[in-house]
Amino acid sequence: MKSIKVIILLMIGSLGVHSAFAQSRPPLSVNVNYSIAQPLGSLSDYAKNTSFRGWTAGINYAINDRLSVGGKVGYADFYERFPRAVYPGKGEDVSAVQTHTLQTIPILATVQYSFAKADARVIPYAGVGIGTANMNYEKYWGEFVEKENKWAFQVSPELGINIPFGKYSPVMLNANVQYNYAPYKLNEITNYSSIQANIGLKFHIQ
Amino acid sequence: MKRTGMILSAIAVSALLISSCRKEPLNDMTEEESRIYVTNYNDTADFTSYKTFSIVDSVAVISNREDAKKELTAYDVKLLNSLKTSLQGRGYTLVDKGAKPDLAVNVSRIDNTTTSIGYDPGYWAGYPGYWDSGYWGYPGFDYWFPSYYSVFRTREKSVVVDLLDLKNAPHADNKLNAIWNAMLRGTGVWNSDNIESMVKAVIDQSAYLKASNN
Repeated sequence: MKSIKVIILLMIGSLGVHSAFAQSRPPLSVNVNYSIAQPLGSLSDYAKNTSFRGWTAGINYAINDRLSVGGKVGYADFYERFPRAVYPGKGEDVSAVQTHTLQTIPILATVQYSFAKADARVIPYAGVGIGTANMNYEKYWGEFVEKENKWAFQVSPELGINIPFGKYSPVMLNANVQYNYAPYKLNEITNYSSIQANIGLKFHIQ
Repeated sequence: MKRTGMILSAIAVSALLISSCRKEPLNDMTEEESRIYVTNYNDTADFTSYKTFSIVDSVAVISNREDAKKELTAYDVKLLNSLKTSLQGRGYTLVDKGAKPDLAVNVSRIDNTTTSIGYDPGYWAGYPGYWDSGYWGYPGFDYWFPSYYSVFRTREKSVVVDLLDLKNAPHADNKLNAIWNAMLRGTGVWNSDNIESMVKAVIDQSAYLKASNN
């Protein structure tokens, strides 16, 4: 019952907002993007290959036609295999083919500011996401895995454009570039940083 | 119910998204790539102070499923021969175990196929089937190993070679000290075709293991 009340209230609320945006698009939007991420710094030393296995998904609520708040989640998978080498330690040597992998799932709260009005043909914007990221570190020594899963703080500034499919169209093409930073330290990784390109669609739903 | 179903399917979809995006390291790994060769050594030992060695006449098979036993299969013969040749190549002289060798070489195959055992060097010395210290003329002695590297796995076959200090054993407090050990781990370590390259790897990465500095 309680949830029905909330839904009704939300609907009334969104009706009100809707009328305020009568000459614009509905304030609530979702977006789904395909992501490519390039590791930087010590993350690149750990696993330098570009991640082509990634995505982001977000939800945004427009407070007015410039400012919106929301959240997003994502995924990237970094990977590199190293040819056989001897890794020395104190009183030990290990000969192994190492495979380094890191999977990250950021969960961020976002704020976006648009540099153009809702009726523009191209709407550039800047945003920032702040939150946490699950870092799944798996380093294989041959077939033996050394793994650690932990959470890190993450901040991700973002620059992008939205291109509506026609004036006031609720569907837009979204393309953006984001930089990710997390003070994540584990073995050879001294901090997590990557640059990421995302392309996808943004739907204003209500 | 409907809500639970929706939540469950959302989780399922996201799990699918996440797992399908993952490049799985084991999928394209060859047997050779799967193997690791670990050597541990006492970094205070002077390996050139030892001149002679003797090696066990068979291989201890240490298993958590069956009774421990000593075996001498074609694989074992090849392995023992390869170790002999390699140590001789480093200047050590092979002698009979009755001729007071400076070093003893214990060789074990470990078959862990049901439960997990830690891979700290030396854990196998406490397992039934491992060479009794009496074999080397020091009954009642314990084995002592340096402890370093460990990675865990639940199902695995491996090979372990331990080099023990017999020279200083009379003054070593009832211990046979391991000064070096090698672990061959991964897929195919019990395949005799791989013996040569595996033994070569552990000897090559142990440059300090030699009878003289010349």
